[in-house]
Amino acid sequence: MSANRWLATGNFFSTYREEQRIFFTHLDRLVFAVFIAVLFIWPLVYEVSNKYMLVLDNILIAMVAIIGLNLVTGFAGLISIGHAAFVGVGAYTLAVFARTIGDSHVLITHAWPLMLVLSGAVGAVFGAFVGLPALRLKHLYLAIATLSFQMIFQWTINFLPLFNQGQTIPIGRVYWLTGMVSRGDHYLFWYYVILTIVILFGLAVRNLLRSRYGRSLVAVRDNDRAADAMGMNPGLTKVYAFALAGFFAGVAGALHAYLYRGAGIESFTLSQSISYLAMAIVGGLGTLTGSFWGPAAIRILDLQVENLVEWSAQFLPANMNLATALKPLTFGLVIVLFLMFEPRGIANWWRICRSYVKLWPFRY
Amino acid sequence: MKKRHAFMMQVVLAVIVCAALAAPSHAGQVYKLALSLAITGPTSDAGNPYSKGVEDYIRYVNDTKLLGDDTVDCPIRDDQYQTDITKRNFEDFLSEGIVLYLNYSTGSTLALKRDFDEEKIPTIPASFHAGNLVDSKYIFLPIATYSSQCIGLAEYIVANHKGGTPQVAMFIHPSAFGRGPVEDVQNAVKSGLKMDIVEVVEHGKDLDNTATLQRLLSKNVQYVICQTVQSPVATLIKDAQRLGVTAKTFGEAGKLTFTGAHYTGGNDLIDLAGSAAEGFFWTTSYTLTSEPGPGTDFQLMLAKKYSRDEKTANSHNYTNGMMVAQVAVEAIRRVKAEGGKVTRESLYKTLNAMNGANSYSPGNTVGPVTYSPTDHAGVDTLQIYSVQSGVFKAVGKPFIPKFAK
Repeated sequence: MSANRWLATGNFFSTYREEQRIFFTHLDRLVFAVFIAVLFIWPLVYEVSNKYMLVLDNILIAMVAIIGLNLVTGFAGLISIGHAAFVGVGAYTLAVFARTIGDSHVLITHAWPLMLVLSGAVGAVFGAFVGLPALRLKHLYLAIATLSFQMIFQWTINFLPLFNQGQTIPIGRVYWLTGMVSRGDHYLFWYYVILTIVILFGLAVRNLLRSRYGRSLVAVRDNDRAADAMGMNPGLTKVYAFALAGFFAGVAGALHAYLYRGAGIESFTLSQSISYLAMAIVGGLGTLTGSFWGPAAIRILDLQVENLVEWSAQFLPANMNLATALKPLTFGLVIVLFLMFEPRGIANWWRICRSYVKLWPFRY
Repeated sequence: MKKRHAFMMQVVLAVIVCAALAAPSHAGQVYKLALSLAITGPTSDAGNPYSKGVEDYIRYVNDTKLLGDDTVDCPIRDDQYQTDITKRNFEDFLSEGIVLYLNYSTGSTLALKRDFDEEKIPTIPASFHAGNLVDSKYIFLPIATYSSQCIGLAEYIVANHKGGTPQVAMFIHPSAFGRGPVEDVQNAVKSGLKMDIVEVVEHGKDLDNTATLQRLLSKNVQYVICQTVQSPVATLIKDAQRLGVTAKTFGEAGKLTFTGAHYTGGNDLIDLAGSAAEGFFWTTSYTLTSEPGPGTDFQLMLAKKYSRDEKTANSHNYTNGMMVAQVAVEAIRRVKAEGGKVTRESLYKTLNAMNGANSYSPGNTVGPVTYSPTDHAGVDTLQIYSVQSGVFKAVGKPFIPKFAK
């Protein structure tokens, strides 16, 4: 252990406990605390339009969902192509409550933290259930099993009157300590709520990965037979990986429904699932920071492409067709380029940057 | 020192004179509208000409100074038929200070309905779903609802059917857009419209409808009312032609007569189905360029002025886009004419007063646009068209369905 707890360079761990610390130096802890403080304070200082606040909220919700997807696909190595369906399970749990007891019922409007947890719990149950085939299936076969869940989910929502046959089910405005959250404060309020959840879930996963349960996820991913021989339970590990992913997705879905004040099937389709997978890949599979980088990168890329198309409309008469080509092209290109040249995702760039700063002015 | 002071005075005076000459005598106001729709993605075949209709009419208003020195600014954004993007676009438009909003799909209109009411912003969507008007004060449909259109087709079937009670099937899109009118048609039957709804078929993405058609025939179905988009209808009627079960004349016994609401027809259907479209009966509230008149002449002139291709110029979705822009501009014109300030509230009041002697005839609809605080469906009148020798021709006179609420 380095004597200097502020600027330790190199690894001087003398115990396993030291190596498992969340923050290696006081400087790490301070930077993290300042960063979190900035995330909370900046909206009070700098006013952002509702459009961009909505984009930010969307990125944060995607982060919640990707933390879950990264657990199951990145850490446990179980491919899931139906993640949007799990998100949808959370959203529709809330929506069914709203449809049954009324969208302005006190449970929906006042007990929304409870509804978030409940939606997550239902997501976890569905996750565990869908995870059962993982006991027998692997790789591509498991991917198809999760894909079928996505299809069943879409069919069920589209055809059952309970789910309004896919039409938007409205959700009422929520209340906070100061009364009902008005339209003007809606996006800011949810920014703070979702940000808090992202931080809590991030820390929870960070801690999970330090525990035997987290390590068994990685062990099962690397070699489930070896993990079994080491005394772990690969079957249980796979099922709880899916259950945890389902929980995070369920919470993300409920947040989405609250943010958009309704749940409709369009937000939980297969293309959304693929988009989530792309976020996880671009961010960095099997890394916690990747769960934050991926959604931010993909959503911002989307927005920038839209802006580019709109800007080019001033010069190109056929601008409308440019939009058709550019969006899928950039989306596909980014994934292919990352898979080819940076399969460890943006998280690896972040790791390199941190390492460089930590060692500076030395090269190694 | 004195010389220098005089020189400075001259420079200041020159600047003031130049500035005064450069400034326009009267700077007009800019009224902001906005449109979010599917220019790409699902239903973009309708959204693309629709957006051009809106764009061209707004350009025409500004170019010909229809509002005097005042101009209309109407940014158009692609939402790829995704409600999440529509919501983002809508929030952006609100921050830009729009006074009236043009929306597109049924899904996004239903999802944003509460936002429109909270913002008190008059909204004209491209969706004619009757559900848009439920619990909503600020949504104004341009023409009769899908329900009204389907009931209109049903009334036409009942009026022209020979023999006993007509046996009818509905062929619908598997969504709110398709399912919406089913219950209303069933209610019309309960209220005394003498026909039997034998089956409601929700189509998937089938490439072959042989089984469906054979089943309908085995149930003695003679008429099919379609409430969907063009491509599934094209597949259906092409299969019917292949099987030789398409009626040669309206209501031919033992054969099927196909009919459809607004988004099933138009030139796109003829392009997709070819000769199978012959004898297809379609209803809409718009005039068509295949039936020339002053409204269609204006439409073709507008399309030519802004260099649109033939397909766009003759598209009923181009008419549709033009018409909603016309209604929006007319509301602005009326507020100005009354000496009022163009705001969301004044436009809302003006639209609600658009009835009776104040109803508005844009020229490209088969009846006037009428709104009132209790009726937010614009043109109530429908026209039946049928494909004859490769073009849609009017059949009979425009009418208002009696069984439509």
